Amino acid sequence: MAKITRRSFVGIMAASTTALSMPSIAFGALPRVVVIGGGAGGATAAKYIAKDSKGAVDVTLVEASKRYYTCFFSNLYLGDFRNYGSIGHNYYGLAVNHGVNMVHEWASSVNSAEKKVYLGSGATVSYDKLVISPGIDLKFNSVNGYSPEAQSIMPHAWKSGTQVQLLKNQVKGMKKGGTFVMVPPPNPYRCPPGPYERISMIAHQFKKTNPTAKIVVLDPKNKFSKQGLFMEGWQKHYPGMIEWISADTHGGIKKINTSTMEFETDLDTFKADAASVIPAQQAGRIAMNAGVNKGDWCPIVPASMQSQADENIYVLGDASIAKSMPKSGFSANSQAKVAANHIRGSLTGSKVFTPRFANTCWSLVATNDGIKVGANYDAKPDKINKTSGFISKTGEDSNLRKATYEESIGWYSGITSDMFS
Amino acid sequence: MKSKFVFFSIIILLLFSNKILADDKALAGADFEYGQHLSGECVTCHNSTGLGQGIPKITGMKTAVFIKKILAYKTKEKDNAVMQMVADRLGEEEINSLALYLSKTK
Repeated sequence: MAKITRRSFVGIMAASTTALSMPSIAFGALPRVVVIGGGAGGATAAKYIAKDSKGAVDVTLVEASKRYYTCFFSNLYLGDFRNYGSIGHNYYGLAVNHGVNMVHEWASSVNSAEKKVYLGSGATVSYDKLVISPGIDLKFNSVNGYSPEAQSIMPHAWKSGTQVQLLKNQVKGMKKGGTFVMVPPPNPYRCPPGPYERISMIAHQFKKTNPTAKIVVLDPKNKFSKQGLFMEGWQKHYPGMIEWISADTHGGIKKINTSTMEFETDLDTFKADAASVIPAQQAGRIAMNAGVNKGDWCPIVPASMQSQADENIYVLGDASIAKSMPKSGFSANSQAKVAANHIRGSLTGSKVFTPRFANTCWSLVATNDGIKVGANYDAKPDKINKTSGFISKTGEDSNLRKATYEESIGWYSGITSDMFS
Repeated sequence: MKSKFVFFSIIILLLFSNKILADDKALAGADFEYGQHLSGECVTCHNSTGLGQGIPKITGMKTAVFIKKILAYKTKEKDNAVMQMVADRLGEEEINSLALYLSKTK
């Protein structure tokens, strides 16, 4: 009988994606890493630990979805710049190219004392190091009148997938000359420029098919990311269509009514023909269950992304308090590489390099009108510290804006290839 | 006297840098493993398969070409806010390590 090497065994497991039906005694002394969440943080961490350890670490990625739809670029789908299929990705590359054990289940709980993750099926998987990268959960009750049931009437679409398809259908089906009401989230939240890129893409859609439509933005904030750039773009491309109303101006959203589609504020009651409500956010539930949160988010050690509560758990991306980095896919991908390097070092003795972080967020305002903001960061004992940064300027020429948009297309191709292949 | 010194310094620097660019074994402080680690930052945008649009492929790039481009961003001679920021925090050891790694990667 042919000897089954660890490498071929991993291959078999990866191909069958039934790692958990196997007894968990395999591989003897091989250290085990479990990653919960297959987004920009988790997929990247799983890949880099598996790839760079060259078989010396057993990596299992727990992700419920077999096909992952990115939140980033979902706005471009709303604006018809991308089709839905183009923002969906599978995990075959991680399994086949890097030997990551894919487990398509929900992680239901973490026992950090026993270093075990319990799965929806009742199976357990043990770890030496655990990476938690669950993204966000929505705090539905942060907006009075909003609820999990209301999300089908006023989609938040702040986790990608069917919510984004629903929102697009509602935008396209809105009555001619109707009013779309948008409620962005309060700080801190996933993707700071995202709600305003969404407004741009909905306006772009209306300009084509419903040019007398209006968009009213009831913001719980008084300022927002790339504000000057977005405001300039809205004036240029969609004059008179978008009314952004700050918190101080409307005095707060008192109540929304999903039956009458009304938004009650101190300033006025706004009636919508279609709407999107993005409530406040918190770290994904499994992070709370693992006990690595402090309030809504999870404090980390900046140099490694280890949880401050448990040195064997790392928290990446939106769920972490990675101040001063914004909650973005780019940030999560950058943090994942720092964590992967640290995890590999602690499990195999490989070299741990000085951590360095980066982020850039591109946004599309209209056809060929891209803008961007970005920064470099290093790790200080108390925070991830911004060392330099840039932002697009108002009044830039159209060639530069077109190049910025094209750059964002290249970035999407790059980061999704980095995550999934 | 001073101008002579500057002249000879430039000549020596040019000879030295040409030698560096000609032979990656002579890349000061270059470390393949460090270059591989640092390249994690590049491949977030630069598609490792080379199939991306809008952002060029950098793997397989000759060391001299890579170093010239990065230095042009570092001195802001070449224009791109993201790349100027990336280049800004790369020192000689980092640039040379990246050049070495990328030149030997498909």
